[in-house]
Amino acid sequence: MAQSGKNAKPGKAGKILHRKYYHDRSSCLSDYLLKLVVGIVMLFVSVITLYPFLYILFYSLSTSGRVGAGLLLHPRGFTLESYRILFTNTTNISHAMLISIARSSLGPLVSLTVNSMGAFALSRKRLIGRKIFMIYVLMTMYFSSGIIPHYILMQRLHLAGTFWVYIFPAMFSTFNMILIKTYMEGIPEELEESALMDGANDYIIFFRILLPLCMPVLAAVMLFDCVHQWNAYSDTMIYNSMRTNLHTLQYVLMTFIDTTTQSLQEAESKGEAQALFNPVTARMALTVIVTVPILCVYPALQKYFASGILIGSIKG
Amino acid sequence: MKLRSLLRKIAAQHRLYVMMLPMLAAVTIFSYIPLSGWVMAFTDYRIGGSLFGGEFIGLRQFKFFFTQANDAFYVLRNTLVINLCSLAINLTSACAFAILLNEVRTNWLRRIVQSVSFFPFFVSWVITYTIFNTFLSMQTGVLNVVLKDLGLLETGINFLGDPKYSWPVIIFVGFWKSIGYNSVIFLAAISGIEQEQYEAASIDGATHMQKIRYITIPALAPTLSVLLIMNSGWVFNSNFEEFNLFSNSVNWQKMEVLDVYVYRYGLKMLDYSYATAVGIIKTVASLIMFFTVNVIAKRVNGRSLV
Repeated sequence: MAQSGKNAKPGKAGKILHRKYYHDRSSCLSDYLLKLVVGIVMLFVSVITLYPFLYILFYSLSTSGRVGAGLLLHPRGFTLESYRILFTNTTNISHAMLISIARSSLGPLVSLTVNSMGAFALSRKRLIGRKIFMIYVLMTMYFSSGIIPHYILMQRLHLAGTFWVYIFPAMFSTFNMILIKTYMEGIPEELEESALMDGANDYIIFFRILLPLCMPVLAAVMLFDCVHQWNAYSDTMIYNSMRTNLHTLQYVLMTFIDTTTQSLQEAESKGEAQALFNPVTARMALTVIVTVPILCVYPALQKYFASGILIGSIKG
Repeated sequence: MKLRSLLRKIAAQHRLYVMMLPMLAAVTIFSYIPLSGWVMAFTDYRIGGSLFGGEFIGLRQFKFFFTQANDAFYVLRNTLVINLCSLAINLTSACAFAILLNEVRTNWLRRIVQSVSFFPFFVSWVITYTIFNTFLSMQTGVLNVVLKDLGLLETGINFLGDPKYSWPVIIFVGFWKSIGYNSVIFLAAISGIEQEQYEAASIDGATHMQKIRYITIPALAPTLSVLLIMNSGWVFNSNFEEFNLFSNSVNWQKMEVLDVYVYRYGLKMLDYSYATAVGIIKTVASLIMFFTVNVIAKRVNGRSLV
């Protein structure tokens, strides 16, 4: 029987045989051990990556007086009070949300335009001076001027202290440009040649022919940029910390950590741990609010990774 | 004549140059122009003054970094230890995780574990810090409370403050955030292994363990080594957003890395000249690393990475 299996070309018979052997052999000790290890590792990784988020969600939905420290498997005394307080009492959550949304929608639009046009030009083999331009752009991946020269530049350009410090420095990304360029190089040149023959110029080729064909990679890059913009906090900290009207959600959450730990310590030292307004539940609620948008686009993000669009560039 | 035809060709494709313009402008303004700020490291620059107005002081700031207390020692040690350990642990554990994940034969279960483990990669560092703060803080941290309830601890451990725990904690943070992401690369490599090899092994009576040992692991070894070599070019670079949150006034001796050190001296203590000098040291060291790594990669892999 083994003989016939070996000779069988990949087909139904071979698969059935394979499955039979698979079952027969899994009964040996080392394979039981393997199954055990697999189970334990999967459980461990799932718990440490999932439970923290669940904990924070449950905490934010709990009544502040009834929730202490320790494990939580469900909200204690379900209430939406923390969320209500967050949006009514605390100063600038709604405004910070607007700023966050503005930068994560405008930023990707600008950078997608710059990156895709650059990628188009650099992916044309007929471009004169292509190699020089490539080197000029790629070089920047390997050095950085450092934080201080960059800071001074932002001051001199009058970008510091404005909303545009979120958009302009991020308008070009070598990584994203290469991603789009690689994709464009995979599109048959005949399409372009025939369009050229019909008298189309480069703008028409780019907008009418290449862009529609590059939708998958453009969507992937755009989404990735959105997440980047949404998650960033250090630019707010460095350039806009004095401009409360330009604070983003991430930055507000960061200042929340500092102030709540402080006020918690003060409360503890005064023996008033059961304060009326529990800053911790509010902090948890804010964490949930900041996480939810990522959760919403997560299926799409995962899809692009699974299809290898974003991984391909890492490998080469 | 030759020049003329070249010019005509260039004129014919002027639209390509126009489209390239925003990219070239961005690169020039945000990457090349700030390099002129490097003169600050060699002059006694005064804040607000002209970039080129300071008096030339030579390499004094560079010497400072290596002679001032033991700053250079602890900062470089932290940067290298944390980055190298993270690199080795993250990649090997992701490789192992991918192999084990591939052994989960129930499709929906595998997909759920993969989705769950990938999620931390996409959340911000502020949220990551909030989570670790919630679980590890000394008085109210979930882990400490549970350990105290079980009677395993008398008082809570100060994971985020005590320098003793800095390295394990920050390496675990990196593991937690990147396990799902890194395993995707290895899962892709596993799916590239020819199925016939496994079938042949089954027919010869190989157990699952043997298949992993003699087929999967040897097939993944090149991927692992390429990734290790490639990423070791980045050992001087840390994620500023991550370390800025996890460094504090208690654990800085074990937690502060080059990028945070430069930030602290430059923008908090306003010593622009010195911070720029340390930044230059970092960039030059990185360039040397990239160059070395590229040479090694060429030898090992037969192809250049740059």
